Amino acid sequence: MSPAGDRSGAPAGARQPQDHVIESVTCLGCGCSCDDIRVQVRDGRIARAGNACALGEAWFGDGRVPARTRVVDRDVSIGDAIDAVAAVLAHAKAPLIYLAPDVSCETQREAVALADILHASLDTVTTSTALASIVAAQERGRAGATLGEVRNRADVLLFWGVDPHARYPRYLSRYAPEPQGVHVGGRGARTVIAVDIGERPGPADADVRVDVPADEEVDTLLALEAIVRNPATPIAGALWTRARDIAERLTPAKYAVIVADAEAGDTGAHSTRGSQLARASALIAVAQSLNDQTRCGLSTLRAGGNRAGADSVLTSQTGYPAAVSFIHGFPTYRPFDAPTPDAVLVIGAANLIPDAVTQAWGEAARLVVGPRASEHGAAHVAIDTGIAGIHHAGTALRMDDVPLRLRQVIDGPANPLDMLRRLMRVTKSGAAEGPPLPMRTAQESTR
Amino acid sequence: MTALRIAGGTVYDPANGIDGEVRDICIDNGRIVATAGPDAKVLDARGMVVMPGGVDIHSHVASSSVNLARRLLPEEHIPDPVPAPDLRDDVVPRSGTGGTVPSTFTTGYRYAGLGYTTVFDAAVAPVTARLSHAEFDDTPIVDGGFFVLLGNDEYLLRLIDAGERERAREYAAWVMTATGGYAIKIVNPGGVELWKRGARERTDLDTAIGSSRVTPRAILETLVDAGNTLKLPHAAHIHCNNLGAAGNVSTTLGSMRALEGRRAHFTHLQFHAYGATVEGGWRSGARELIEYVNAHPEVTGDVGQVMFGPAATLTADGPVEYLLAKSTGRKWLNVDIELETGCGIVPYTYKEKAAVSALQWAVGLELFLLSTDPWRIVLSTDHPNGGSFLAYPELIRLLMDRTYREEKLKTVNQKLLAGSALLDGLTREYTLSEVAIVTRAAPARILGLTGKGHLGVGADADVTVYASDPDFSKMFATPRYVVKAGVLVVEEGQLRRAPAGRRLHVRPEYDRQIEHGLRGYFDRYSTVSFDNYSIGPLPDAPVSVGQTVSGPPGGPARSTAGGR
Repeated sequence: MSPAGDRSGAPAGARQPQDHVIESVTCLGCGCSCDDIRVQVRDGRIARAGNACALGEAWFGDGRVPARTRVVDRDVSIGDAIDAVAAVLAHAKAPLIYLAPDVSCETQREAVALADILHASLDTVTTSTALASIVAAQERGRAGATLGEVRNRADVLLFWGVDPHARYPRYLSRYAPEPQGVHVGGRGARTVIAVDIGERPGPADADVRVDVPADEEVDTLLALEAIVRNPATPIAGALWTRARDIAERLTPAKYAVIVADAEAGDTGAHSTRGSQLARASALIAVAQSLNDQTRCGLSTLRAGGNRAGADSVLTSQTGYPAAVSFIHGFPTYRPFDAPTPDAVLVIGAANLIPDAVTQAWGEAARLVVGPRASEHGAAHVAIDTGIAGIHHAGTALRMDDVPLRLRQVIDGPANPLDMLRRLMRVTKSGAAEGPPLPMRTAQESTR
Repeated sequence: MTALRIAGGTVYDPANGIDGEVRDICIDNGRIVATAGPDAKVLDARGMVVMPGGVDIHSHVASSSVNLARRLLPEEHIPDPVPAPDLRDDVVPRSGTGGTVPSTFTTGYRYAGLGYTTVFDAAVAPVTARLSHAEFDDTPIVDGGFFVLLGNDEYLLRLIDAGERERAREYAAWVMTATGGYAIKIVNPGGVELWKRGARERTDLDTAIGSSRVTPRAILETLVDAGNTLKLPHAAHIHCNNLGAAGNVSTTLGSMRALEGRRAHFTHLQFHAYGATVEGGWRSGARELIEYVNAHPEVTGDVGQVMFGPAATLTADGPVEYLLAKSTGRKWLNVDIELETGCGIVPYTYKEKAAVSALQWAVGLELFLLSTDPWRIVLSTDHPNGGSFLAYPELIRLLMDRTYREEKLKTVNQKLLAGSALLDGLTREYTLSEVAIVTRAAPARILGLTGKGHLGVGADADVTVYASDPDFSKMFATPRYVVKAGVLVVEEGQLRRAPAGRRLHVRPEYDRQIEHGLRGYFDRYSTVSFDNYSIGPLPDAPVSVGQTVSGPPGGPARSTAGGR
């Protein structure tokens, strides 16, 4: 599949001395994907993740992960587990391959190949978390900037209902407003506007604060767009006055950046898919319209684990960023219809899949190949793997689609890429046509 | 690997002076050989046309920007689903989607199905090189490489500002090596940086980019000299300032004059060949431009023909797309990229009845038909900007069939065609040999690929066999056989094998001192660690640097030796 193979450099692991430091390690704890982590390894474990924030420290941990392989509740060899996964998939009428976080782009590419030859559905965490921003951008385009441009140009930053401290801790110190950029100074030279939306405040140390009631969020954005497009728009009422105040802060910028969280969990408790789409669309429209008067980019925050990589890999191979079905023998795009599978192969960290997603799978057989798979009680087959960027090298995409190198820092259990390649071989050979497995989970068998 | 004998075909191999001779082409171990043994598989090509595999010098197929365009256009993928091909090798056949920006596997299959075996992506931001390599890994059959965007790169502009042009050359060499790129690309030199700083006006050759020492002229000189001093196999590949603007032919000619006497490739010339009317409207500037090119053997170019129908305009030239979005009202994507370059995307439709579309179509054809040297002005549509690569057969028909061209001309909007040489009745019809030059022999030579674009002994065994057809668009759309590196990939018109292609890249030597200053710059301003920037080794050996292209520009090569 990949003639160029693994381009990510030599693994550390066994050739390194017992205690050593690995520089420039990329962290996938959130979508910032900081690649300046200094990992100290002691006795084959991670002793310290230097430069990492609290989220990053938690993501690296000490690097220990389970290394079990089981079918129902029996420990088996990896070969037997692969055969079991292949057999379930071969007998499934509506298989789903689901890309969870913490796998590399290389693994994601192989997973799409498997879904293709199985005529399976293919989905990712993005569909249930950040799809609104993607669909809105498909409808309108977008005005964006990579984080290097944010760091080096943004003189006015508007944080729209988000304080990166909690979920994207190093955004402020690594990208903006704190660093000294090529075209703009550090924090003192930049204006930070916090728009506090209901229970979602902007950064505490902003230069300007604007309060927007949660139920007026989209209307405020629409008013803001109208005023930016036509400064002579008549202003009436508090909502329009607020919008004008924001516009007056943005338009004098040399390079304005609007920072917003694309992860649905942060857009309010009562948000529906429709309101998420309206919000995402209005944010794009504001950023686009500001380019008539100045320059502006929308910086869309995404969570960790190489989610942006999954969007990119699916797009590259199928034309669609998520929610793809190969049921007809070619990719179709069903962003608003969740499939009803009878078997699900999860690739990646199953514990990071939203509950609503796993609940929707109902009685479908669960096959999990990923970090801590064996801790997923509902799994019929579980193959524990290492974590991309800790136990395996590869590539991941930052929240702004910039590709980054993932390094191996310690040895770990199986690489999910190798597991998928073996699964592909078994599937291709037709050896998976044997009898189906008993469909009982570990949980059920212990009841 | 099986030996092959393509027997009895009419061979067009212009690099070796062969113009329609009936002869056998023998293949063994992936190369053209003098004779094949008795066990060789024989392809009966009697009555058919045999050419080297096509070489696309300028396309957009494998980059972060291409993938953003794919994501932007689901409405194009939905009506063009592509089931997996029925392959006879042990490669996993892959489905995909088409439209103007097809998915990766589909792109490889469709190029091969058209008889093209080598494709270059013309615009890759250095920081995104890993993505381009991954996309080429998923684009089967064709050999591929990419050009690296440097004309608005902050570090390069700083070196020019400091008068350090030799270090700028070393930096360019470092970037080629770090990214696994093939050539230096310049897009709207300085103009993209000005757009990021909020400028909207035209960028002329002597417009200051922050400093009076940094101008488009200085950027062009520095990077063209870098490519030539490093003896990269392909010259700096230039997309001039003011793309699409009425009157821009003066900018294009000014750029060529600034580089007079230096090897340079000017791309999608059609988009840069407009005169201006007294009122500031568009008119053709093709004749003025091509007369200069005809008289200057150091200049090569590709046309960037516009073909009627849907297109996706996608370019590092962000300001152009801003203006296009404003004038069309269609959806607009812009991403400014890491102090390196930009990216703009707008879907677009070229219509026969639209005056500007018709002028663009005519200007491209004028360039083709008025060019006196097919070895220097070669075929492209700047896929998917002027139209899809799938439109190449139709374009070839327009070049080869005067009657067809004149019928088509009658159907297009004439409003802006006053002064176009096409209205004077250009009678020229391209011959099969000339088509072989502009679609394979010349692009290969301009790219410095000594093993491609010809069928001499030792050349890469990339061969396309067409069944003759009086309708040239049919003939070139459906080759009967395509051989890639000795593997029969298209058999009886069907895609049957999909081996991986080779990566074409260069690794020029550079002064390691450059890394010291660069590391400091990265530490201060970059969001990617210096240690993570380089993509590391590639499995395919680099194309050698330091040999200039064999043979004089404008005639068959002296030597027919292949090799890399």
